[in-house]
Amino acid sequence: MATVAIDLKDALARCGRGEKAALRVIYESECPAMIGVALRIVKRRELAEEVVQEAYVKIWRNAHRYDPELGPPKAWLYAIVRNQALNVLRDGRREDLVDEVPEDMGSAVEAYQAIERLPDASALRRCLDGLEPRRRASLVMAYVDGFSHGEIAGRLAVPLGTVKAWIRRSLVALKECMG
Amino acid sequence: MTHDLIATAGEYVAGLMTPEELEAFERRIATDAEARRAVADWREKLVALDETVAPVVPSESLWPRIEAAVGKALPATAGRPGWLARVWADVSALRFAALAGAAAALLLAVVLITQPFGGAQAPVVVAVLNAPNTSEAGAIVEAYADGRIRVVPLRAIPVPDGRTLQVWTLWDRQVGPRSVGLMPVARQSDYRTSGMPRPIDSQLYEITLEPAGGSPTGRPTGPILYVGRGSAPL
Repeated sequence: MATVAIDLKDALARCGRGEKAALRVIYESECPAMIGVALRIVKRRELAEEVVQEAYVKIWRNAHRYDPELGPPKAWLYAIVRNQALNVLRDGRREDLVDEVPEDMGSAVEAYQAIERLPDASALRRCLDGLEPRRRASLVMAYVDGFSHGEIAGRLAVPLGTVKAWIRRSLVALKECMG
Repeated sequence: MTHDLIATAGEYVAGLMTPEELEAFERRIATDAEARRAVADWREKLVALDETVAPVVPSESLWPRIEAAVGKALPATAGRPGWLARVWADVSALRFAALAGAAAALLLAVVLITQPFGGAQAPVVVAVLNAPNTSEAGAIVEAYADGRIRVVPLRAIPVPDGRTLQVWTLWDRQVGPRSVGLMPVARQSDYRTSGMPRPIDSQLYEITLEPAGGSPTGRPTGPILYVGRGSAPL
């Protein structure tokens, strides 16, 4: 884990001015975690690196558009990585993997491990723990594994409409709990 | 904040929207400060899940690939190449996308054709704008010292009904992007700008898709179609 706190906001501002060294600073600090985040979604190492490569091109080109109104810099950077990974899924580049990915939830789904690794004292952990387990899993499977409503419904063996309603209600409950 | 907005912004951040829902919500974000707050709030809350990830050491080739892809992989010893050489260096990113041949030939043709514009005057900055995702070249920008800017599309750019292309430039992050002008259909367009400083090296140009009549906020709101940085010709 990176322990050196770098000023991502400053690095983004410098990227926006065309300073390539600032992109390298972001890379040094965030790249290993970014590959991990992409890997949770695309499930294959070389694909995850491709995702991160394309994400850095987007970061470089869009750094001047970064607006603190749209979230802290770190959250903005990881949103780009996750969106890029989801684009890869939509392009069907993971299709050939579907057979390889075991359907049994323990090994195929990263969501459970992500929840367990949240610090016990964090508000997110506490409020997620307050949700009914399958509703909690639905929401986190979407965010962490990049699963669609349909994929979640399939894995939890519940109707699509139920999953959609669960997730929307869980979001409202989470927001009320976290403030 | 309504429950509906909380849930919808959460679905957006969790990546649960269809492409149509995504486009509609991103348009809303552009004009609705409360929707922006809802998105920022979810991103801030949920990034903790990203932080639980096991880091993966990148392969050694990853950074060089990124450098090449951002199109700035100029050799440190190259000194200051001529502007055409630098345009080519920028275009070299295309080679990685296996698109270079045709696009570069077309680019050269357009550069040669458009060069005489303005009589003896030469542009002070020239930029090649590439698509953010594929790096395909989409337009060339020539910016002149007197504020004139010529934009030459290199390919047909579809513009849906009720939308327009809009050209932007950014020379200073503190000032933010400024509109150069609208391009309702993709064809060579000349603009006269005022109140902008003389174009500088690395100045950013981009073309976005905006509602007809131009961005309602005065800032780019639609998707970036083509973007690139200028270089000063010698």
